[in-house]
Amino acid sequence: MLKLENIKKSFTQPDGQEVPILDVPSFEIEAGEQVVLIGPSGCGKTTLLHIISGITKPDSGKVFIDGTELTRYSESTRDRIRADKIGYVFQTFNLLNGFSALENVLLGISFGAKRSTPARAKDLLQKVGLGHRLGNKPHQMSVGEKQRVAVARAVANRPALLLADEPTANIDPQNQQQVVQLIKDTCREEKIAMLMVTHSMEVADQFDRVVRLDELNRVVADLRATAGGDK
Amino acid sequence: MNVFKIAWRSIQHRGFGSFLTILSMALGIMMVVSVITIHGVVSKSFKNSRTFGYNVLVGARGGEFQLTMSSVFFLAPPVENVPYEYYLAFADKEKRQLEMRHSLAMVTQSHEQDSLQLAGLVSGSLGSVSGLGHELLAATSEVEQFSAMQFHDKGMFDTWVHTVVPINLGDFWVDEETESNFRCVGTKPTYFTELVLDIETERGFEFSEGRAFEEYNEEHGFYEAVIGAAVAARSGLGVGDTIQPTHGDPNSSGSHLHETDFHIVGIMKPTGTPSDRCLFLNMEGFFLMEGHTKSIKDESVRAIARREREKRELEAEGVVFEKDEATDEKYITPGPARLPIEKREVTSLLIRGELDDDGLDTVGQFLPPLINKGDLKESLAWTPFTPDSSQDAAMGVNPVEVVTKMFASFVDPIQLALLALTLMICVVSSISILVGIYNSMSQRRHEIAVMRALGASRTKVLLIMLSESILLALSAGLIGWIAGHLLNVVMSPIVEQQTGISMGFFDFAPKIPLAFLPLAENLPGWMAAMEVSPELLLIPGLILLAVLVGIYPAISAYRTDVSQSLGK
Repeated sequence: MLKLENIKKSFTQPDGQEVPILDVPSFEIEAGEQVVLIGPSGCGKTTLLHIISGITKPDSGKVFIDGTELTRYSESTRDRIRADKIGYVFQTFNLLNGFSALENVLLGISFGAKRSTPARAKDLLQKVGLGHRLGNKPHQMSVGEKQRVAVARAVANRPALLLADEPTANIDPQNQQQVVQLIKDTCREEKIAMLMVTHSMEVADQFDRVVRLDELNRVVADLRATAGGDK
Repeated sequence: MNVFKIAWRSIQHRGFGSFLTILSMALGIMMVVSVITIHGVVSKSFKNSRTFGYNVLVGARGGEFQLTMSSVFFLAPPVENVPYEYYLAFADKEKRQLEMRHSLAMVTQSHEQDSLQLAGLVSGSLGSVSGLGHELLAATSEVEQFSAMQFHDKGMFDTWVHTVVPINLGDFWVDEETESNFRCVGTKPTYFTELVLDIETERGFEFSEGRAFEEYNEEHGFYEAVIGAAVAARSGLGVGDTIQPTHGDPNSSGSHLHETDFHIVGIMKPTGTPSDRCLFLNMEGFFLMEGHTKSIKDESVRAIARREREKRELEAEGVVFEKDEATDEKYITPGPARLPIEKREVTSLLIRGELDDDGLDTVGQFLPPLINKGDLKESLAWTPFTPDSSQDAAMGVNPVEVVTKMFASFVDPIQLALLALTLMICVVSSISILVGIYNSMSQRRHEIAVMRALGASRTKVLLIMLSESILLALSAGLIGWIAGHLLNVVMSPIVEQQTGISMGFFDFAPKIPLAFLPLAENLPGWMAAMEVSPELLLIPGLILLAVLVGIYPAISAYRTDVSQSLGK
């Protein structure tokens, strides 16, 4: 489903020096597979998600989504592929304040080729337990509720891959578990592959496969897969 | 969700800021709408010759603008008066003959002839039939000249004239309740029966209630009046009410109330012309009010005038005079004595010319120069009338030409300057959109980055930003348009006072051909021929303005770096 080949990315410092931050020789996720990515701060986890989603182009290397080589396309095509095939959950939820819960979810379907259907958005909100808060704006919702809306928005376009960037970092432990479970369950039900970045080993321990970026922040560490199914 | 809905939500989210942006632009648009509608409606009403129903205006020599403003639009104070005989010069033969029954000169002449006949019968005696024509007896040759002349037929302008209606101005009616002044117009019933509002369609005056006044009415005598629709609406006057006119401008110290009751017998339907805000008084009654009588210099005529006045006073006291059996029944006019023709004067004459052989109305072109050369006075030089020299100078104008000239020299440049000023205000206030959007760019960058992360392309976010700018401008346009028309309604009494044109909420700026617009030469022919109200042009104008002021923030949004702006 997701395949990375020799991805390299570096940033140019103000003094002109190039600092490599990512060097991923090879990485794959199967369809429906749920993977956790861990690593110390600043090791390039978010940059990797941006490269996978097509927001950022790598300096070199290839990204394949569903067999399509994302990196060979122009930015606008990458935008379209992202709109159709990728869902994104952010650490800070990133709900748009002027929009209701329902509209935020609809926004997740608004930019792709698929038609935006309020029924699908309502169903999803119902599924995440917010069927009664369709018209509420983000400021009228709790932190946990906001993240549930964000999850519903991320899967509204029936993506092939869900990218979650520390989705539990900003929420209390009780809600953390709920959100992790929600993401896991939703991805399983919708048959969506998932790559979640987290700092929390508690969260990481709940998934079959955990990938670790090493301390040098430059290469993907040896892949570590935990035994057993979803916990 | 489409881009407009996303943009609208963004506007709603920035509630107060958006409100202020819209308000500031709406105020500019309100002024533009108000200026173009008032300018359009007023100039159309002023310029449209058909609404006059006549094409020559004859009045005392003076400013052509003042004559037109006072007699056509009932606005400026009247200049001076001209002799009533000038009216007869344009009236048809039958009307002249009827009117001549009230000429003292003709009475004098008649008495003179009687006296001559008696002189023949009673030798050495001048006779004592009337004792009024002595002065003229000495001039036998003149008398012969009088008898020989055919006053009714010669030297008159009536062959060119389709309709002529005299009007008298100078009196007002003061509505105590609303403290409003309305102009009184003394005229003849022919104002309503012969004059039309629109020459092309022959649309005439109509009455919503009652009828036109009569020259003499058994019940009300000479004292009947008709009121315009606006007068009725604003004052509440109705058929059966009576009014007393005030002599002179009520705001000046020299005015005084005429203690003469005029009975309202009709209310006109709205005409959309200055007539709507006037009260029309029967001219015969108007003449009989104090201060409306011209003094006479001719001694013989003065003697008869004195007798006529004494007769009227006696009649007022109830004395009944026997009819003169010798009078031709055809020329008997009913009722008590009228003001003699020699003592009458009118403010102006509204003349509609006959069409020429080609069906063209050329009278409006050639008659005014003839009158201005002095032909009018010459035509009366050999008649029994000897108009007062101070009042004999008449002038003729074509009101359409005067109004066009007036607009070209005064109104259009002012309106253009005003329009340019309000457009500037509109442009300046539209910059508030730019400022409003630009100031919130830091917050927007994050929202834009989120949308980009959800798959929105750069073009899409550019369109969303432009849509927001366009929606702000169109909302301001809608509010400004409504406010502009409400302003017109509020300003209507002032506009009406100044121009005579009342405006309602749904009075739009009159249509203009697109060919009149700048860059119209690039338009295809069918489009250049299209006529649209300038108010409709506000829509594409606002969209263009919104795009111009919205393009910078939109490009800024287009260039937003998602990775940097997205955060976590």
